[in-house]
Amino acid sequence: MAFLRERLDNGLEVIAETSAHAVSTSVGFFVNTGSRDESDLLWGTSHFLEHMIFKGTESVSGDEINRRFDAMGASANAYTAEEDTVYYATVLPDRQADAVDLIARMMRPALREEDFSTEKLVILEEIRMYDDQPPFGADDQCRAAFFGDHPLARSVLGTVESITALPVEAMRDYHHRRYAPGTMVLAATGAVDFPALVADARRLCGGWESQPDTTRLRPDAPDRAARPGTTRIVRPSATLEYGVRMSPGPSERHADRFAAKLLAAVLGDSSGSRLYWALVDSGDAEQATLHHHEFLDAGLFVTQLSCDADAIDTQFERILEIYRDAATRGIAGPEFDQARNKLASRVVLAGERPRRRLFEVGGEWAHARTYRTVAETLGIVESLTRNDVQQVLERWRLDESASIVLAGPSGG
Amino acid sequence: MKQTLFSATLDNGITLLGEDLPDLESAAVAIHVPAGAVHDGPGRCGLATLAGELCLRGAGQRDSRRIVEDLENAGVQWAHSVSATHASFSGAMVARRLPDALPIFADIVRRPRLPPDEFDAARDMVLQGLAGTEDDPAHRTMLALRQIHFPAPWGMPAEGLAAEVERLSCADVRRFCSTHLLPAGSIIAVAGRIDWPDFVARCTRLFGDWRGDPPPPIAPGPRGPHSRHVPHDAQQTHVAIAWSQPPYRDDASHEATAALGILGGGSSSRLFTEVRERRGLCYTVSAGYQTHRDFAIAVCYAGTTAARAQETLDVILAEIERLPGTISAEELDRIKARAKSALVMQQESSAARAGSLGRQWYHLGEMRTLAEELARYDRLTVAAVEDWLAAQPPKDLSVVSLGHEALEVPRGVSA
Repeated sequence: MAFLRERLDNGLEVIAETSAHAVSTSVGFFVNTGSRDESDLLWGTSHFLEHMIFKGTESVSGDEINRRFDAMGASANAYTAEEDTVYYATVLPDRQADAVDLIARMMRPALREEDFSTEKLVILEEIRMYDDQPPFGADDQCRAAFFGDHPLARSVLGTVESITALPVEAMRDYHHRRYAPGTMVLAATGAVDFPALVADARRLCGGWESQPDTTRLRPDAPDRAARPGTTRIVRPSATLEYGVRMSPGPSERHADRFAAKLLAAVLGDSSGSRLYWALVDSGDAEQATLHHHEFLDAGLFVTQLSCDADAIDTQFERILEIYRDAATRGIAGPEFDQARNKLASRVVLAGERPRRRLFEVGGEWAHARTYRTVAETLGIVESLTRNDVQQVLERWRLDESASIVLAGPSGG
Repeated sequence: MKQTLFSATLDNGITLLGEDLPDLESAAVAIHVPAGAVHDGPGRCGLATLAGELCLRGAGQRDSRRIVEDLENAGVQWAHSVSATHASFSGAMVARRLPDALPIFADIVRRPRLPPDEFDAARDMVLQGLAGTEDDPAHRTMLALRQIHFPAPWGMPAEGLAAEVERLSCADVRRFCSTHLLPAGSIIAVAGRIDWPDFVARCTRLFGDWRGDPPPPIAPGPRGPHSRHVPHDAQQTHVAIAWSQPPYRDDASHEATAALGILGGGSSSRLFTEVRERRGLCYTVSAGYQTHRDFAIAVCYAGTTAARAQETLDVILAEIERLPGTISAEELDRIKARAKSALVMQQESSAARAGSLGRQWYHLGEMRTLAEELARYDRLTVAAVEDWLAAQPPKDLSVVSLGHEALEVPRGVSA
C-alpha cells in the first residue's frame, strides 16, 4: 500500500492509495457539496444535479456516457448526501484511463433544459418511491426536527414542490459555484497508475477555473434537539409502525467518534447487541438498532425501531431503559470485547476491496485532508478502552434531549 | 489468471469446495444444507425458515447467546438464509479465525437444540419479518410474480405466509430438522487465504460421521394464473413481468442472459434508455435472470406513479417484443465487458467467491475456472444470441401489478 498525492495549480487535489494485489481500479470525484449547501429555493438541487451529470456534456451525450461506462465493464454510480456528492467507477486496471477520461468530462455537464425537464420526472418518481417505503419519511422528518433551522435539517431529495419549482438556471449557477476545483478531490484506489492519473487530471481538469469563494454555510450546529418530542406521520395502509429517534453525538472531528461507533455496536448493532437480544431476538420488534452518524461539525445517535403499531411506545420505553442502564451502570467487559472484535474485523474485510476503500480514503481527504491506512484504523479500534466508551456515555446522554418521529398506521 | 480450485467428497455425500486467494487477509465459508422451503409441505409455508431460525437458538454446548458471542468474538461476519432449496449458514473473517468458526457452524447444522422455550420468540421473529415485508411494495410484487409463474412449491415465498407460520409448532420444526438437516447433497465452500488440507481434515472431523438418508425429491406441481393485480394503497404502482428461460446449467443460458442484459441490465440497456432516460417514466427499471436448477425466469420490474404505470408497462412490453432480430454487436460487446469485469472482480472478495463456488456446484455439479467462464463469454456471437432468440422468443408472459388499479395486459401477451 502506498498513499500518493498531487495538487493541481487550480487547487484540485488528486490522491491515490495503491495496492499491489488489487485486480481492480476505483476512481471517483468527491465534491464537497450537498443538501446543507442549498437554500430553500435550491432544496434538492445537489441530488438533482448528480442525476444531470449523467445526462451529458456539450460533446458527449447522456446515452454515450451510459454506453461508454458499460463498454468498459465499469461498475459506475453516484450518490448525494448532506455534505457530499460522489461519482465513482470501478474498472479493470487496463481501463483506468477510459474511466478517468469519462468521469472527469462529466464534471462539466451541459445541463440542457430538455434533459432537465425529463430528469425532473425521474427525481419526482424517486421522491415518491421513498415516500411509499419504510420508514415513510420518518428519517427525514426526524433530522428536520433535530436540526431545526440549521442547513443539515434539509432532506437530500428535496420535496415534490421544491423540485417542481426549480429552474434550470438555478442549477447551472449552483454547479458553477460548487463544482470548483478547490471543493473537489479526484481519488483512486486499488491497482492505480498514479503518474497517468495525474497527467490525465492535468489534461482534463487543469483548465477548470477556481472560484473565489467556495466556503460552505457553517452556522453552529445544535448540540441538542432543536425540536425535542414526538411527531407522528399517519400511513393507514402500513402494517408496522416505524420510529426514528435522534439524539446528539460526536462530530467527525471529535476525538470520541470511534468510541461512539463502538458504543453503538454494543447497544444497538443488528446482531448480538443489547437491543438485538431484548427486542429483536424476542420477536417483539422487526428492527431495533442504534448507529452513530457523523457530519463535519455535528453528530447524531440514531435509533431505528419497527414493530407492531400498538407496541411502539412500550418498545421505545424499553430502549430508553437500556440506554439509562448503560449510562448509569456502564458496559461490561465481554460485550465491549465482542463489539471491538466485530468492528476490527469489519475494518480488515472492508479494507480488502478497492471500491470500499475509495469511499473511506476519498471521503476523509475531501473533508479533513487526512489519510489513514487500514492498519492505522485497525490500530485505533484496537486501542479503544471501556473508559473511552464510558466517556461517550457521559458526554452524549442517549436518554436525554431527542427528536422522535413515528410513521405507521397508529397516528397516535 | 491463475486460479487454485479444490474439491473433495466425504463418505456421507458432503461436497467440500475451495479456492485459494493468497493475496487476501480473509477467508469466507458457506455451508448449504438442502433443507429449503420447497420441503415446507402443504399448509406449512415458512417451516424451513422457522427451522433455520431455531437452529441458531442453541446448538451443541452453546446456547443462543453463546453462538452469537463466539462467532462475533472471532470477528466472524455471519449470516443465515433459507432459499427454496437450501438452508445456508455463512461467515467471513480474518483467515486465521476460520478454525474457530467451523465447529460453531457444525453444531448449528448437526446438533441444533431446537429449544421449546425459544420457539415462540423464533416464530414471532419470523412473523415480524413477514409484517415488514408487507410494507415493501417492490418485494411483494416480486413474490406475487414468482408465485404465479413458478410451479408449486418453487413459487411459494421461502420466508413463509403469516397465516401458515402462526399454525406451526415446535414439533413441526423438530420433525423437519430430523428429516431434512442431513449431509447428502450438502455443500461446504471456502475461499480466501486458506490451507486446503487443513480445511479438509477439519471438515472430516466435524462432519465426516454425520449420517442420514436424503428426503425424496419434490415434484413440481401446477402453476398459478398468468396475471394478477395486488391492490395496494400508495402513490406508486409496481409492475413485474416474467417469462421462462433456460436454467443456468443449460448451455443456452449464456445466450439467454446476454439477451436479457441487452434488454435491461446496465444503464445503456434498452429498458433503462427507453423507459427512464427518454421518457422519465420511473426511477427503477430493470431486467434480470433468476434460476433454479431445473427452471429459470426472466424478470422485468418497474415502479412508477399510478397515472404513468400503463404507459410504463406498454413501453416495456414493446421493448420485449422488439428484442429478437435487432441485437447489435456493440450491445453484445458491452454485455461481455460487464460480465467479464464482474467475474474478475469477484477475486477481491472471499465471500463472493465462496458463494459462487457453492452456486456452481449446486447448478452444474462442477466448478468452472475463471478462464473457462471468460471463454464462454468470448465465444458468444450476435448470430448465436439471435438464433437462440428466434427459437425461444419471449412468450407466455406472466404479469403482476401492485397498486391502486389493475393495468391492461394486451391480449396475446399473457398465456
